[in-house]
Amino acid sequence: MKMNRCLFLAALMLPFLINAQTRISGKITDDKNSPLPGANIYIKDTYDGVTSKEDGSFSFRTNEKGEVILIASFVGYKKYESKLNLKKGEMKIDISLEEEITQMNAVVVSAGSFEASDEKKGVILKPLDVVTTGATADLYTSLNTLPGAQKVGETEGLFVRGGSASEAKTIIDEMIVQKPFSSSVPDLPSRGRFSPMMFKGTVFSTGGYSAQYGQALSSALILKTEDMPKQTITAINTMVFGFGGAHTQRWENTAFSFEGGYYNLNPYNNVFKQRVDWDRSPSSIDLSTNFRQKLSKNGLLKAFVSYNKSDLSLYLPDLDNIPNKTYYEMKPENIYSNVSYRDIVGDWNLFGGFSYSLDKDRINAAGNNISQDQRLVQTKFTANKKLNENIYLTFGAEVHNTLYDDTYNQLNIKLNEVYTAGFAEGDIYFSNDLAAKVGIRAEHSKVLNKFNIAPRISFAYRLGKYDQLNFAYGRFYQTPEKNFLIQYDKFDYENADHYIANYQYIGENRTFRAEIYYKQYHNLVKGTVYNYPYFNLPVVPFSSDGKGYAKGLDIFWRDSWTIRNCDYWISYSYLDTKREYSNYPTMAFPTFASPHTFSIVFKRWFESISSFVALTYVHASGRPYFNPNNPEFLGDHTDSYNNLSANISYVARWFGSYSVIFFSIDNIAGFANVYGYRYSSDGKISNPVLPATLRSAFLGVFISIGEENPYQ
Amino acid sequence: MKNAAAILLGFFCLVTFTRADDTKYTEAMKNNLEQMKSMQTVQDMVDLTNSYLRIANAEKTKWLPYYYASYLTILTSLTDPDAAKKDTYLDEAVKTLAVADSLQPNESEIYVLKGFLFAGRLQIDPMNRYMQYLQPMNEAYEKAKVLDPKNPRPEYLVGMTTFYTPEQFGGGAKAAKSIFESSLKKFNEFIPKDELMPTWGKDQLEQFIKQNYPQ
Repeated sequence: MKMNRCLFLAALMLPFLINAQTRISGKITDDKNSPLPGANIYIKDTYDGVTSKEDGSFSFRTNEKGEVILIASFVGYKKYESKLNLKKGEMKIDISLEEEITQMNAVVVSAGSFEASDEKKGVILKPLDVVTTGATADLYTSLNTLPGAQKVGETEGLFVRGGSASEAKTIIDEMIVQKPFSSSVPDLPSRGRFSPMMFKGTVFSTGGYSAQYGQALSSALILKTEDMPKQTITAINTMVFGFGGAHTQRWENTAFSFEGGYYNLNPYNNVFKQRVDWDRSPSSIDLSTNFRQKLSKNGLLKAFVSYNKSDLSLYLPDLDNIPNKTYYEMKPENIYSNVSYRDIVGDWNLFGGFSYSLDKDRINAAGNNISQDQRLVQTKFTANKKLNENIYLTFGAEVHNTLYDDTYNQLNIKLNEVYTAGFAEGDIYFSNDLAAKVGIRAEHSKVLNKFNIAPRISFAYRLGKYDQLNFAYGRFYQTPEKNFLIQYDKFDYENADHYIANYQYIGENRTFRAEIYYKQYHNLVKGTVYNYPYFNLPVVPFSSDGKGYAKGLDIFWRDSWTIRNCDYWISYSYLDTKREYSNYPTMAFPTFASPHTFSIVFKRWFESISSFVALTYVHASGRPYFNPNNPEFLGDHTDSYNNLSANISYVARWFGSYSVIFFSIDNIAGFANVYGYRYSSDGKISNPVLPATLRSAFLGVFISIGEENPYQ
Repeated sequence: MKNAAAILLGFFCLVTFTRADDTKYTEAMKNNLEQMKSMQTVQDMVDLTNSYLRIANAEKTKWLPYYYASYLTILTSLTDPDAAKKDTYLDEAVKTLAVADSLQPNESEIYVLKGFLFAGRLQIDPMNRYMQYLQPMNEAYEKAKVLDPKNPRPEYLVGMTTFYTPEQFGGGAKAAKSIFESSLKKFNEFIPKDELMPTWGKDQLEQFIKQNYPQ
């Protein structure tokens, strides 16, 4: 009975509700008055609403009455909420949505840098590209196919935009690596010490990089290691010059891996004709271990330790006493470790890291015993917070303590450097189309006993859906190299100003980038440390009076669309640079720079033979070399450099495990490349600097066990 | 006594109105489910997604509207030819699915969508993304199977991925066949808990088998 009364009441209300129906219609646009189709317009806490049409118009009915809240929402825009007093009949409401500024939608400042990442959008390279370019699966070889990097065959290192190798720094998980390369002997380059497979993200900055990093006048290579390995896996590698193995164990919140390898080039060097007179071919033992522990939802502890020990000896030509040769022996030993913790505490993104490295070189040069020890302890922290919708602030500090201990026969020199730096940087979003990165870095060096302050600023402005303009200015300081510091105690910081402007288009399958730059060097170190290989030049006194400039144009084009199943990229660099530094008697175009560098990388996956094929061609115009008979300093130039290399990776499944057979050939066409010439001290005899072999080949088999096949 | 009667009255009214509300919810959901059968364009999908989101917004504690909104957003990502938008759709799907997951923890169907989401990410750029997404995708499908061994959808989606994976990586039509068969068997035995629970996949799978495995 009572129940009926209740229903009766409801029934009584029903016609009233129907009578009170309101029709709401209007148009929804963005702040530029363009219609927004697909927006959701509805009344809060009800089912009543509609999706806007192609022209932004909308119309719906509601039985609600009185005061309600009208909501309009659309991805990428701020939610619209407005009180509305519903009246019977028609109501017309036009809505304008304001664009939401988020890091996801906003333009990314990218002057001067190339990024390879799986996680971020709008990057030029993928981590896989880094591994599959060139013939050597070396990180630095593939970076050499990007514009701005110079091809220098006789030494390892990154030579960026007229900068020397010491002006480029490698940074792993926020911390500088003291020795990213194995130690090398004169005129024979060594490889990078770290496997490119370790890294999930790579940023190669050819200038104008963030205030979070310092001590590199030209370039920073910023690498991020893998977080948690995906699975438990065992890998076995067999190569023409050695073998190795690795095991990774993955638990829910913990992962541990151990890797070891032994490499000996002796058998290989006996097969391929060597231009080098080896006594003991290079051999090495590499060991490394990785640990990951998840400590909270976002807290991740990472630890990496690597150890390697290598050995080689050879006879170098002695041009002053032909046919005599000079014995040279090199036994480096390196320890590198990096421990870091990252977490989110409240609104703060926090990072803390510690790194220890010890690099020892034992050299025997013509009976002289040389030992060079370098120990680096560094610690760094950064904190990042979103201050408001438009500003993200990052600040932090780092301290490095480097101890150099060099012995030449009985003579011993020690140097203890403490480097301290602090930085603050703001990412400012004026709109989704205009962003700026403004930073400042302050540094102090104990050896120099001086402070410096380095401002950095860069802008990005989005022109259209796919293209943008970038500008950057920055000042970069670097403490002079140890070889100079131990000779003289009144040096100042070397420094460089970078001015960069670029246009970039990143479409779905095509990327184009053109960048112009100007770099002005100040206070470069001057002074003669060794007279080799510049015999009979006047001795330059030590000072910080060196100077120089570099300017040029870098062009990059990548296309994975025009030719089916193919991906290629083309780089071109034009460089004009001169410098007066080290033992240069005058301003000169340096030996490590080419006016024109061109490279093309071509990749294709062949489904039918389940193989991935990559070709790389590099051309660099001739570089200057020192000829004591030419009155013009560095007035001679080598012929241009050409190299065509190919690699093929065949993917196979054996007994349910994945295997990759990797085969590569360097300099297929057999171009006779000459890197320069060395002269006897009287200038009468010269000898070309050549690659160790005309061609080289590599064969490796990589087997992974335990990569579970989820489909069976 | 009079007070008790009033309370009782109030209680009955509450029950009635709640039931009425539930009817409204059920009707609206059923209407949407019906429309899902005929949707074709991206606009249709966006329309329906928004409709589910409105229901979700009003109901607040029901997980199914969020579930369907997320499912449709993934489908939109797969359907929309504009490659630039594909990841953006999936970012939205992640958000709505997270709400569904918080309202209904350990739900097999939600884990199916988690896997489906990773499959969507993977499909955008398989060569470069398989390292990142293959493992979490399979983990999600596995979890879905564990939570409800009778659920045919994890195997349906695993089968689809297998079908389009090159043979040398353990995929191909042949490898997918047995997975499809097992899934189809489960589809035929599957009884949804209620009329609003997901049933998608059966028609699509039957159609797919007819086209790709001619007898």
